[in-house]
Amino acid sequence: MRKVTSRLVPRIVTLSALALGTALALVAAATTVSATQPLNGLFRVAKGSYFRMLYPGGGKYFKNPYSKDANKTYTLIIAGSDGGLRTGVLQPAPTPAFDHHGNSLAGRIIQPTDFTGINFGLATKGIAPEISVSGTRLSGQVKGFTAEWNKLTFNQGGQVTGSYSAKTHTYVLTWKSKISGGPFNGFTGSWYLTGKYVS
Amino acid sequence: MIAGFRPYMTAAGLSGYQVEMRQIDAGVKEGGTKVAAALFGTPAKSGQRRFAARFPDFVAFENQWSGIYPDMRGMLTTIRANLGNYQAVAALPNFMLFPWFFVAPGVILLGVLGLGLLRPGWWRASRRVLVALGLGLVLAPAVFQMFSRAPAGGRMMAAFKTIETHSRVERIQGYFGDMAVGQGAVQLELIPALQRSGLNLGEISSRYPGLTTFDNQWVHILNDMTPMIGAMSDNVGNYQAVAALPPFPLFPWFFVIPGLLVIGCAAAGGPSRALRVLDARSSDVPNSLTEGVK
Repeated sequence: MRKVTSRLVPRIVTLSALALGTALALVAAATTVSATQPLNGLFRVAKGSYFRMLYPGGGKYFKNPYSKDANKTYTLIIAGSDGGLRTGVLQPAPTPAFDHHGNSLAGRIIQPTDFTGINFGLATKGIAPEISVSGTRLSGQVKGFTAEWNKLTFNQGGQVTGSYSAKTHTYVLTWKSKISGGPFNGFTGSWYLTGKYVS
Repeated sequence: MIAGFRPYMTAAGLSGYQVEMRQIDAGVKEGGTKVAAALFGTPAKSGQRRFAARFPDFVAFENQWSGIYPDMRGMLTTIRANLGNYQAVAALPNFMLFPWFFVAPGVILLGVLGLGLLRPGWWRASRRVLVALGLGLVLAPAVFQMFSRAPAGGRMMAAFKTIETHSRVERIQGYFGDMAVGQGAVQLELIPALQRSGLNLGEISSRYPGLTTFDNQWVHILNDMTPMIGAMSDNVGNYQAVAALPPFPLFPWFFVIPGLLVIGCAAAGGPSRALRVLDARSSDVPNSLTEGVK
């Protein structure tokens, strides 16, 4: 009897520990998945961030000869005076928004960047960006995201998705936005921002 | 549509676009001939081959331009030829008002007829109002010079039929992309190559005025062309809505014929009609009175 008990007890303890461990792990995983935290801060725009523009119909990308990238369909962008994209607040364009050549003066998110001979800039208007993290996944909206070029304003807002590392604070945000109206009607802007998030 | 095109539909504005197309053309031709020869010398054939290998973006644009230029030139010529027609249409009352030109007389007509029937004593005055209304409708096309302006509008709509389409606008958007690449090749490749060959910017400008003008004017060309492409794109739907209307030359008759009908009705409802209305009314009243007495 004692022998049986002495054999059973460790097994029961082991099994109980396993069950408890699994339950705890499951609870932890469930908690991690469901916890969505808003990230109100600055998404720094770092090297590797870019913009592309897809022709109507989606057949090919617009070539920007002034791009610094070897592949001219990628227009590389670098951080502006604010360091990047802020969530929870607006980053409007200055007044006036353009110089007399049509170069954008909106330089808070990115440094105005040459696009076919005229600089474009970025601003957020109307609705402040909202981005949340859930585990390593980013989601949210940048509905007020606006590109300014040649005295014209193009809404480039949309739903963003991406990834985030809580350890390194590095992030990747991507979204696409179809241009409606104006000279680029039907084109789709494709945005890729990467860098570090600072709260 | 008319308002959307207003900033661009001027003789000076359209001439400006035509000049800009010629500037690009001169730059492309000079780049592909004189500049190519200066950079890669003769014999022409092998020089051209080396030029194409060294400046593929420019040479690709040069080839595209041979299709772009005639198309853009033709489009601008068509638009320019219809400037007078556009101005004739622009001088007409706003298209938004057109339905009201028919609704308002219709409401007045019904009101006057209703009053004339309800109050037979007002019939004579009602007829006068109807005649005035009819005359107004008959004369409106003459006052607005519709007999000359509406056919002009018809000619403009016919001429723009192949211009104001989504596919044409997309084609021009594509041209814009090609031109941007071509200009980039001039500024970032050809001119630096000429500089490396020992020329300074002043010498390049005097030896290759076409190429230099294209490069120097590019931002101005972008400033001019981009909003025009935008207006073309934004007005495709409006053009199609206007094109779906009855033919422009018929427009004056939509006023004249209803006007004549109103005058005709007023004439037909002359004194005898008024008397009949009065008789009908007066015969109704005693009956009811008699019935009341009984």
